[in-house]
Amino acid sequence: MRIGIVSPYSFDVPGGVQNHIMDLAEAMLELGHEVSVLAPADDDADVPAYVVSAGRAVPLPYNGSVARISFGPISTARVRRWLKQGEFDVLHVHEPFSPSLSFLAVVSARGPVVATFHTAMTRSRALAGLQNFLQPVMEKITARIAVSELARKVQVEHLGGGAVEIPNGVAVRKFASAAPLPGWPGDGGTLGFLGRFTEPRKGFPLLRTAYVTLAQERPGLRLLVAGPGDRDELYDDIPKELHDRVEFLGLVSEPDKARMLRSVDVYVAPNTGGESFGMILTEAMAAGATIAASDLDAFRRVLDGGRAGALFPNGDQASLTRLLGELLDDPARRAELASCARLAVGAFDWPSVANRVLEVYATAIEATDGRVFDDEWS
Amino acid sequence: MPGMWWVVGVVVLAAIFSAYLGWTAQRVERLHTRAQSAERALDAHLMRRAAAAAVVAEQAETVELYAAARLALDAEPGERESAENDLTRQLQAVTLDPADPAARTLIATSRRVVLARQVHTDLVRDALSARRRVFVRLLRLARRYPRPEYFDIVEPVLPELPPLPSPLVVPTPAPPAEPPLPAPAR
Repeated sequence: MRIGIVSPYSFDVPGGVQNHIMDLAEAMLELGHEVSVLAPADDDADVPAYVVSAGRAVPLPYNGSVARISFGPISTARVRRWLKQGEFDVLHVHEPFSPSLSFLAVVSARGPVVATFHTAMTRSRALAGLQNFLQPVMEKITARIAVSELARKVQVEHLGGGAVEIPNGVAVRKFASAAPLPGWPGDGGTLGFLGRFTEPRKGFPLLRTAYVTLAQERPGLRLLVAGPGDRDELYDDIPKELHDRVEFLGLVSEPDKARMLRSVDVYVAPNTGGESFGMILTEAMAAGATIAASDLDAFRRVLDGGRAGALFPNGDQASLTRLLGELLDDPARRAELASCARLAVGAFDWPSVANRVLEVYATAIEATDGRVFDDEWS
Repeated sequence: MPGMWWVVGVVVLAAIFSAYLGWTAQRVERLHTRAQSAERALDAHLMRRAAAAAVVAEQAETVELYAAARLALDAEPGERESAENDLTRQLQAVTLDPADPAARTLIATSRRVVLARQVHTDLVRDALSARRRVFVRLLRLARRYPRPEYFDIVEPVLPELPPLPSPLVVPTPAPPAEPPLPAPAR
């Protein structure tokens, strides 16, 4: 199948949507399909072979952050030329209602169009107001995918159209084959945390308190923290004598993230809310870490109801401390949880996610010209 | 001469209006064709699901499931929806064997039914909303097309089977490279 994918954001800046598109394109290529990705990029930018540049991206504040996008007559011409030359069986656009290449591609497209919605847009009310204006554009989209329950809800309630929920994939192989950081996890046990530790709903203070308690009795226990944030702010709340047992990596690249997750005995996700999916958990599962997580709905679902990772009551300090102690003392239970996690993460592995996306492609093509495929796609 | 400008104005407006009507007529046609295609696709996937269910029922010798599958395959247009609902209920009640290829096929066809129904519903909604537009009604632009109808069945979703062991645990042969596909219509 010839697949044309449109990225609204430039690959120069890393981001969730861009990673998703690259992983999806690579999974499709591996399944034997032809893929072309149209994205804003400088003409001399270093991009994968399957990426076609649609011209330079300009920074534009959008939806609470700065997005680097392309928009305007030159971009429109490039989108049209790419569509014409590509002769795609299906066009797959991401975030089509941002002022972006995706929007231009939908307007210019004929034939089957699949759209993926990543964010639950906060300005959905403004979007609903534009609904009449957007209706002819909406109509060009044949099938819709939402990456989370929340994104699907916005889609259904504000834009009046159904959407299939297909979660984000995780490149299991990349995580499973990463080498642990030198000297980690070590013999004394290691707890790990990844994320913005200053953000209250990530729940880092719960883990910090638990670690400080546990470290008194376990002289070898270490804590590995990665994510954006100020180094001093992290160490300020930790007793001085523990400072050399806490390692802060700062913001890590994708490969280093995999290595970091491979370097811990227990990955802790003490989030107190605001998680719609739990991408980091699937990554930790792929890396073979044992997981201890708060019992948010999203986490419970990803962790197969608690079989693929231990759950503790959300926000409960004592339970978290006790649970971590138990896990550290029980290598057999850790191994059991980790092996369940490795099995459960198969559902989020890119090849299987890509197959589900292919099913949506097939459905969109069928609905556009009435052909029905005999193949099962899985 | 003010009179001439008036005439030019009317001609321009008429040109814009007729362009708008032409565009609307095209849009109505496109939406109706798509809704019809989606209906054919949904019909085909329902047939395939019923056939897959019949295979599973024969293997497991479950009479009720087999009967429901036959009824869904043979249903008259008016009874189709309730027959498919019956089949969905039967399917949700059976326990499927994860290792059985027929069961996997059944799950896969059910997934396709869910997708086809979702897309069909969306496209029918789009076509119906186009039919409600003022000029479409006044000029009866949609008169050449039968009114699309929703296919009103319960969500035919089946629980996913547990994933087969991933290649990390047990090496499995690689999937076939390229699924055979008819050449795209251009």
